[in-house]
Amino acid sequence: MLLQSSASSYLPILIQGIMALAFVGITMVITHLVGPKRRTIDKLTPFESGISSVGNARSPFSIKYFLVAILFVLFDVEVIFMYPWAVNFRELGGKGMIEMFVFMGMLLLGFFYVIRKGALDWEK
Amino acid sequence: METAINPWWIIGGVLFAVLNTAAGLIWVERRMLALWQDRYGPNRAGPFGLLIVLADSIKMFFKEDWIPPFADRLVFVFAPAIVVATVLMSFTIIPVAPGVVVADFNIGLLLFLAFSSLGAYSIMLGGWASNNKYALLGAMRGAAQMITYEVFMGLSLMGVVLLSGSFNLTDIVLAQQDGWFIVPQFIGFFIFLVAGLAETHRLPFDIPESESELVAGFHTEYSGMKFGMFFIGEYMGVTLISALVTTLYFGGWLGPDFLPPIFWFLAKTFAFICLFILLRASLPRPRYDQLVEYGWKFLLPLALVNLLVTGAIRLMQ
Amino acid sequence: MIPDLLAALRSRFGNDIVEPETTRDETPTFWTPQGKVLDLLIYLKTGLSQPFSMMYDLTAHDMRAYKKDLNGHSRFDFQLVYHLFSFERNAFLRLKVGLEGEYPSHPTATHIWPSLNWYEREVYDMFGIRFEGHPRLRRILMPSNWEGHPLRKEHPARATEMGPFRLWDEKQDAEQKALQFDPAEWGLQTQSEDSDFLFLNIGPQHPGTHGVLRVILQLDGEEIVDAIPEIGFHHRGAEKMGERQSWHTYIPYTDRIDYLGGVMNNLAYLLAVEKLAGITVPPRAQTIRVMLCELFRIASHLVWYGTFAQDVGQLSPVFYMFTDREKVFSIVEAITGGRMHPNWFRIGGVAQDLPAGWDGLVRQFIEYFPRKLKEYDKMVMRNSIFKARTKGIGIFTLQEAIEWGVTGPGLRACGLEWDMRKKRPYSGYENFDFEVPVASHGDCYDRAVVRVEEMRQSLRIIDQCLKNMPEGPYKSSHPLTTPPIKKHTMQDIETLINHFLNVSWGPVIPPGEAMSCIEATKGWNGYYLLSDGNTSPYRVRVRAPSFAHMQMLPYISRGYTVADLLSILGAMDFVLADVDR
Repeated sequence: MLLQSSASSYLPILIQGIMALAFVGITMVITHLVGPKRRTIDKLTPFESGISSVGNARSPFSIKYFLVAILFVLFDVEVIFMYPWAVNFRELGGKGMIEMFVFMGMLLLGFFYVIRKGALDWEK
Repeated sequence: METAINPWWIIGGVLFAVLNTAAGLIWVERRMLALWQDRYGPNRAGPFGLLIVLADSIKMFFKEDWIPPFADRLVFVFAPAIVVATVLMSFTIIPVAPGVVVADFNIGLLLFLAFSSLGAYSIMLGGWASNNKYALLGAMRGAAQMITYEVFMGLSLMGVVLLSGSFNLTDIVLAQQDGWFIVPQFIGFFIFLVAGLAETHRLPFDIPESESELVAGFHTEYSGMKFGMFFIGEYMGVTLISALVTTLYFGGWLGPDFLPPIFWFLAKTFAFICLFILLRASLPRPRYDQLVEYGWKFLLPLALVNLLVTGAIRLMQ
Repeated sequence: MIPDLLAALRSRFGNDIVEPETTRDETPTFWTPQGKVLDLLIYLKTGLSQPFSMMYDLTAHDMRAYKKDLNGHSRFDFQLVYHLFSFERNAFLRLKVGLEGEYPSHPTATHIWPSLNWYEREVYDMFGIRFEGHPRLRRILMPSNWEGHPLRKEHPARATEMGPFRLWDEKQDAEQKALQFDPAEWGLQTQSEDSDFLFLNIGPQHPGTHGVLRVILQLDGEEIVDAIPEIGFHHRGAEKMGERQSWHTYIPYTDRIDYLGGVMNNLAYLLAVEKLAGITVPPRAQTIRVMLCELFRIASHLVWYGTFAQDVGQLSPVFYMFTDREKVFSIVEAITGGRMHPNWFRIGGVAQDLPAGWDGLVRQFIEYFPRKLKEYDKMVMRNSIFKARTKGIGIFTLQEAIEWGVTGPGLRACGLEWDMRKKRPYSGYENFDFEVPVASHGDCYDRAVVRVEEMRQSLRIIDQCLKNMPEGPYKSSHPLTTPPIKKHTMQDIETLINHFLNVSWGPVIPPGEAMSCIEATKGWNGYYLLSDGNTSPYRVRVRAPSFAHMQMLPYISRGYTVADLLSILGAMDFVLADVDR
């Protein structure tokens, strides 16, 4: 099956999108207008269990799952290649299947490498 | 398609139905949780406490619209809008009954995946913009959780695509006339359900929020309608995932003829919404590194194997 | 035991190392000169065969207003009292050091027992006694900018002796500023090689801390580098209040120390009072006390069970468990008229006899509850996510537990079968047949296992109380029993006078000191009372288990994540009122 969408089939989505944004926008504007406004000192500081905080929340701090993010990018891109295969599965037949086996085999190989390297272990 | 209904009516109808379902879920969830937890739940306002929905909405509307001075104003306002808008857009691809779909679209599923990726931004941006430490931790957790579960959410759907040969949800439903996909794709269903839970970050996977640890996680600094948007976005997310599970694995609107197709669709969707609420009532929350590890080390290989086995069986037939 | 211990110490350190004292509670008590106390402590902990390995308590007395004879010992301005415990000997040892001067100082012993850290801070905070060499000698219960030392005798004990409390804006700002955390003050790094540390307050206004506890976390990402518990937000001066209440009217205050333990606190206090007064409690009163205490143990453990599950994100169990706790409370209410804080035990017995029909209520509960426990096992303990969140988390070994003064279920979760009800029975516990549940890993899950099993054992004890409730009076006929049994007052003038005095002034308890130690819901709870022969105590010391447990938090939470901290706190089963008193 070929992709046969024309611009016209996006039209309803566009319309729904506009309506969704309109709903969100209008609601937020209305609440902005009808809600009360009270400024008190306590509202001016970030909530941290009732104690004024030390330092900024925007400091460079350690993110353990940085590697997870990188892996996500890799795997997500590779998974994309499976989509057209899955949808054209019947046309591609056995040959496509074998090719997919090879592709996935390589993917899994990389995956096991990642696991062996301990990239997904919290404690290191 | 044989559609004779004015598409404007469909769009309006879907929007109306989704927003009202989400609002109604406030009551449904609280009553059901109460039922399972041996207590009453809201029962004062109106019959069976139904007017709590109205009372809650009024409250939300008339709360102070507060943007903290220390926050990143623009992002802070946009983050909650993103979640509602993307979920609402995702509903365009779901066929409610034969011909009743906003966009009968041949790449429907891809559109859903795209919008669900966008939805992840709302948590990250909301938490980051708040400039609050709890919110920051919540946002970081949310990011890790959602990108992990997105990978194999897509993978788990491929089984269905393989069987039906289409990304179009109407075609997928029609392909289930001989038997629902839950039978050949049980593993796919399970993975999709778990991933769906994680994407909607509901208990047991409410790790970006995790009240007992991070107060309210990524939306600690939110109040009024902006909090309401996160709130309603979550309920719409639950409805969306339930509707998708129904469509992809449980034959969508298909059912015995004595009731109209739309009834079957709604009934099945509601059943899954209840399942979501039941899960919330019964399961504890895993630690988030456990969740991420479970995703990568167990669900991802499982999804791949599921796909291969499905393919192999399909080829032999 | 005293003679050979005395001999061992004297043969090693010479004759003037210790001087024994006989106290009313017959706890071995030694006076030791200030210069030698450290050597003595080290020897008692490590050198002695059958050593005193646990530092149970450290406190002080302000003796400047004590008018009575001190058992023949010379009077000091202040005296420090160390309580040590030896598991091998099953014995306490009380070590007293006299201090002279307005604001005396004393060498620290934190290098011998890490658990002394908070105790020395508390003594400093309350009495102004400085500990030389203490790593961080600062206030612990009172705010850091507070002036004075409340447990000194010159500090007023009544609100009417001071001006009214006001909190104007500038003062509030100053208080708020004083609360802000300064990493440098605690010697903490603000950044590692490649990233900044995040300093995060968990509490005092936080849904996960079960009250006004503040834990300051030094975070590397989500990993806890260090944790600093800040306590004192719930401090109500329970010890100071004891000095102005009569012996009798202090009982309701004890209810509120471990506020989940209810009458169990009454018992701990009254055991010490009765030792001082020399009252023997009749068997019926003892058994009633035991039954009520075990009911409260179940109620307390149910709260812990539910909130622990909620801490790891399971929403529903807490509702079921609170419902069952209501059932316990309905029994307590039928018997005592109160619910959480019945204030029902009295000096020499209990307030009233059991009401007609009590046995039916108790029997009903005994039949009902085991089924529910089984259900909860399935719901919580056998849930795999729950296990993943609690197994292998917050581990301490038996050695560490003793070092830090951990008692109760936390100690038993490390494999030591030590229950005060069995080892040093009080209030007739020796007559009951029950087991002491233990576990071996010392992690959060094992602490839960021990507590769950304890509920079953408590039920067994209650069942035995039900079947073997002795007949007889519910109060002692001792003249110091307060209030005395009414019917005797109509017979003779002696008891009428006693009644009149005990009710109007309150009983006059003979001078001396006594300590009690019971197996309370959270660990060993003890009251150490000093009387100068008056209608109110000269000094009340409340040794609460949660205080010691909370002190251990940094030690057992380092290296875990924020989420694990909640498992650790949940499994600790503390009550802030018990920590702060």
